[in-house]
Amino acid sequence: MKDAFLLVYRNIKERKTRSILTMLGIVVGIAAVIAIMSISYGMQESITEQLSEMADIIMVTPGSVELGSFGDFGSLNERDLKDVERIQGVKEAAAMIGEIEEVEYRGEMFMMQIIGIDPRDMDAVFGETVKLEEDSGSETGASGRELRENDHKVCEIGYSIARDYFDDEIGVNDRLTINGSKFRVVGVLEKQGGFRSGVDSQIYVTKRDAVNILDTADISTIFVRVRDIGEAEEIAAEIEERIDDNHKLDDFTSAMAMGGAIEDLESIFGILQVFLLAIASISLIVASLGIMNTTLMSVMERTHEIGVMKAIGAKNRNILFLFLMEAGLVSVVGGVLGCIVGIVAAKAISFGIVAIFGVEIAAIVRPEVLLGGIAVAVLVGILSGLYPARKASKMSPVEAVRYE
Amino acid sequence: MIRTENLTKVYRMGEVEVQALRDVNLEIQDGEFIAIIGPSGSGKSTLLNMIGCLDKPTSGAVLIDDINTGKLSENELAEIRREKIGFIFQQFNLIHTLNALENVALPIFFAGVRREKRLKRAEEQLVKVGLEDRIYHKPSEMSGGEQQRVAIARALSNDPEIVIGDEPTGNVDTEAGNAIMDILEGLNREGRTIIVVTHDADIAARAGRTKRMRDGKVLD
Ligand SMILES: Nc1ncnc2c1ncn2[C@@H]1O[C@H](COP(=O)(O)OP(=O)(O)OP(=O)(O)O)[C@@H](O)[C@H]1O
Ligand SMILES: [Mg+2]
Repeated sequence: MKDAFLLVYRNIKERKTRSILTMLGIVVGIAAVIAIMSISYGMQESITEQLSEMADIIMVTPGSVELGSFGDFGSLNERDLKDVERIQGVKEAAAMIGEIEEVEYRGEMFMMQIIGIDPRDMDAVFGETVKLEEDSGSETGASGRELRENDHKVCEIGYSIARDYFDDEIGVNDRLTINGSKFRVVGVLEKQGGFRSGVDSQIYVTKRDAVNILDTADISTIFVRVRDIGEAEEIAAEIEERIDDNHKLDDFTSAMAMGGAIEDLESIFGILQVFLLAIASISLIVASLGIMNTTLMSVMERTHEIGVMKAIGAKNRNILFLFLMEAGLVSVVGGVLGCIVGIVAAKAISFGIVAIFGVEIAAIVRPEVLLGGIAVAVLVGILSGLYPARKASKMSPVEAVRYE
Repeated sequence: MIRTENLTKVYRMGEVEVQALRDVNLEIQDGEFIAIIGPSGSGKSTLLNMIGCLDKPTSGAVLIDDINTGKLSENELAEIRREKIGFIFQQFNLIHTLNALENVALPIFFAGVRREKRLKRAEEQLVKVGLEDRIYHKPSEMSGGEQQRVAIARALSNDPEIVIGDEPTGNVDTEAGNAIMDILEGLNREGRTIIVVTHDADIAARAGRTKRMRDGKVLD
């Protein structure tokens, strides 16, 4: 075995450049598969992690989300909210008033989304997921406090509003002017990013203040939390029916169960993953052709040597083994290198995504994926080597010896 | 004992047929040293290839120890080549990536013998042909005569009864040729059957018996 290995190794070494190029094919193919798998596991995890916290939410908005129905949506009202709260299986329902308004801070002005929400409801909607920014300097360890029931003319602001929009940073107790009225900042929210990056550029005020400054009581969104995620779809349908009845219109409103959206997203994701893997497999097929070609050339060049080996007693299977080993060795080394390159590439992609999109997507390198990658490399090598190796083993000894 | 019965080999090249061997009947006794001579193209190499189980006859038979080699499978023929016969070529035909020791060990490797035992046996053969100080040399680092002695050591590595040489001295000078013949004579004294093809009358004279070939026939 060791001598067979040496024999094969020296043959590979003798044509170093060609062997390295062949190996490169396998390296690229395996690295692509490993990187794609690792990144997509990371994406999957970050999607499920972020969305599973919202799985029991139904989002109710006026206007159907179906195509062609955009236009004047109308809006929801208090009666709709009361009716939704009464539906069996609904744990909590929270209404939001939302408008885009002028916000001024130290002479600078931007258009920003103002959300009016009952402070009690804020917990119901965001639960544990959206918190105040940490501040080790303050007594509570947090940057300010949350909105309270009887607050007047105060607001909580998203991370980007505090840090990015205005030249000067906004902190707790600073004052903003919203639509002409002065508001004091009581809390700064933690950076959300990803699927909740909207929160980062919103300003939250109490519902009462919102009604005053926005000059409307129209509800733009109702958030519903259900007791049992399994019933979410049915409850969403019932919500739509009730609200449509209230407004005497078909398709007046749409209630979207986030749990269903997660499933949709996951299945889209599955398709994307298969598609990417298919592309990576093409590179493996190309690599396999490369190995076949190299081994075939090696068989041709060594025809004379094969004849000599047969003349001194090599059986067909001895020759077969040597050439399979040659193809296998190139692909095993290629597979291992491919795994290393794949891991590095996955980490680099993950780093790039964080830097460019600000979304935390880890490269999750699973050991079974690495083992699978090496197994695929070996399989590709042996399958591609099989035809040339058989060709070599079947040569007639005299003719092969005569071949120069 | 080696015996050929009406051994015939026809090469077909398109329309043309070449009768390389015509009804050759030859008997070689165990322990004999036989030289085959004859003009180029007379069929000497073809005859050796048949006896050496490298090729199959068109008709007729080669019997080695009363076994008709034409009836054996490829695997069985490979085993005969490996265990019973040692073949020496005019062009040495060593594997150029392997050193002397590894070349000699190769047939023992194909026999599936363990590494240490294999290398020990290979080294003994190299000592026997007087190359104990060339063990780790690559073929390219040796003279023609030395390479041919490595090839002889390789032919001997599985202790064959028959040693076949197709012009083993054809590519070396007279001195190296004589050294090779000395070795072959020694092997013959050990009781092995030696069959060599040669163009050199002096070499042929050292054999116990000489056979002449012409036009695919062995003359009396
Ligand atoms: N593979 C082959 N295909 C076609 N013809 C062949 C083949 N091998 C040998 N021959 C022909 O068979 C005849 C005998 O060839 P062989 O090699 O046995 O001669 P030889 O006596 O060994 O000659 P030399 O002394 O030149 O080596 C020649 O005419 C040769 O051309
Ligand atoms: Mg010849």
